[in-house]
Amino acid sequence: MSLDYVKFSNGFEKFMPKEYRDMVEHGPFGKKVSVSQVGSFKEVLEEHPMCAGCAMTLFIRLAMVAFPNPEDTITVGTAGCGRLAISQAAIPFVYGNYGDQNGVASGLSRGLRLRFGDKPKDVVVMAGDGGTADIGFQQVLHSWFRKERFTTIMLDNEVYGNTGGQESGMTNRGAVLKMAPLGKKFEKMDMVQMAKVAGCAYVATVVPNNPRRVESVIKKAVLIAREVGSTYIQAYTSCNIEYAIPTDKVMEDAKAVENDRYQFTEYVSEEAKQYLTERYGYKEFLAKPAAAIPNKA
Amino acid sequence: MYLVADINVEICAAKSCKLCTQYCPEANTILYSDEMGKDQGFKYGSAYVAVDRCKGCAQCVWVCDNMAKNNAIKMIMIDQLPKAALTDNITYGEKSTTAVLASPVVG
Repeated sequence: MSLDYVKFSNGFEKFMPKEYRDMVEHGPFGKKVSVSQVGSFKEVLEEHPMCAGCAMTLFIRLAMVAFPNPEDTITVGTAGCGRLAISQAAIPFVYGNYGDQNGVASGLSRGLRLRFGDKPKDVVVMAGDGGTADIGFQQVLHSWFRKERFTTIMLDNEVYGNTGGQESGMTNRGAVLKMAPLGKKFEKMDMVQMAKVAGCAYVATVVPNNPRRVESVIKKAVLIAREVGSTYIQAYTSCNIEYAIPTDKVMEDAKAVENDRYQFTEYVSEEAKQYLTERYGYKEFLAKPAAAIPNKA
Repeated sequence: MYLVADINVEICAAKSCKLCTQYCPEANTILYSDEMGKDQGFKYGSAYVAVDRCKGCAQCVWVCDNMAKNNAIKMIMIDQLPKAALTDNITYGEKSTTAVLASPVVG
C-alpha cells in the first residue's frame, strides 16, 4: 500500500517482463495523470479475457486512469464479468464472495484507517448490477446507512451477462433475454433514489461515452469517500453479447441509452461540496456571483 | 486470419484528436507517438495500434468516423499489414511513446 510495492527488488529488474518494467517506470504511480494523456503512459490495467468491444471494459479502464492515487487504492469485487478485468490490474483486488463485497469493503476501509491513520487509502467496490442490486443488496444498503467511507460503483449492464442472460433487478421492464423469454415483469430498481435515501454523500449516473465525465465523477466519488461518507456511481455498461449490440455500435448504443433513460445526474451533499471546495480546490460548488440587476432607469 | 485496427498516419497527424486512445476498451492498445507524425513532416504526432492487443471490435472506427469525423481508421486483416506495432517493440517516454514497426505475422 505505497509506492514501494510497485518497485523492483534489488537485482530483479532484468528478470521482470517488459510490461512490468514499463508499468514501474512509466505507469501512473505517484503522478497525476488524466484521461487526456492515455496512450502516452503505461496504464495499470493489463490484458484480460473480457469480450471484444465491451463497454464495461472501457468504463473499468477509464476508472483506473481516474483513481486519484492508484498506489493507495484497493478494489473490491464479486462474481460477474467486471472482475475478469479489475483483477488484471496493478492495483490490489479483493474478490468477495457473491454479494458480500460491501461488507468486505466496510471492514477493509475501517482496518486501513486504523492501520494508516490519516493517510488516505481508497477502497473502491466495483460490482455488477446483480452483485449490487440483487444478491449484494442487503450489504450494499447497510454499508450506506452506516455511512461507510468507500466508493461503490455499479457496472450496470442490465443483465446477468456472465451466466447466460438472466434478468436482474436492474433489467428494464419488458426486456426479453435468453433466460427471461417472457420478458421482465417488474420495473428497473431505482438504486439512485435508494442511495440518496440511505444517506450517500455523492450519487452519480454516468455512461462511458464521455471519458472526461467518467474521470470527473470517479475522482469526486473517491475523494468524498475519504472523509465525508459513502459514495455511489451507477454506470451504464452495456452487454453487447446478451443485448446483441454489434461491437462497432456500442458507443452509438451508449449515446442512445444516455438520451433515453441514463442521463448524467449528479447529487452532491452540502457537506461534500464544502469538503471538495476547501480540501481539493474544486471551484464548481462555489456560490455563483449574483446576476447584475438590470438598470430600471 | 483476423481483423485489427489500422490508423492512417497522414490523416491522424493532421488532426491529432486522440479520441480513439480514450475510447478503446483495451488498455495500452491504441497509443500515441509524437515521432510517428512529426518525423514524417506532419503537424502533430499520430495514434497507432499495438496489434497484438487489439481484439478487433472496431469501436475506434466508429469514434473516428462519427465523433471525430476523420475517417482515419480501417479494419484490416492482420496478414495484409506489412508493418505494425507490437507491444515488445514499444518504448514509453516521458510524454509520448515510440514504436519500431515490424511485420506482425511470424514466419
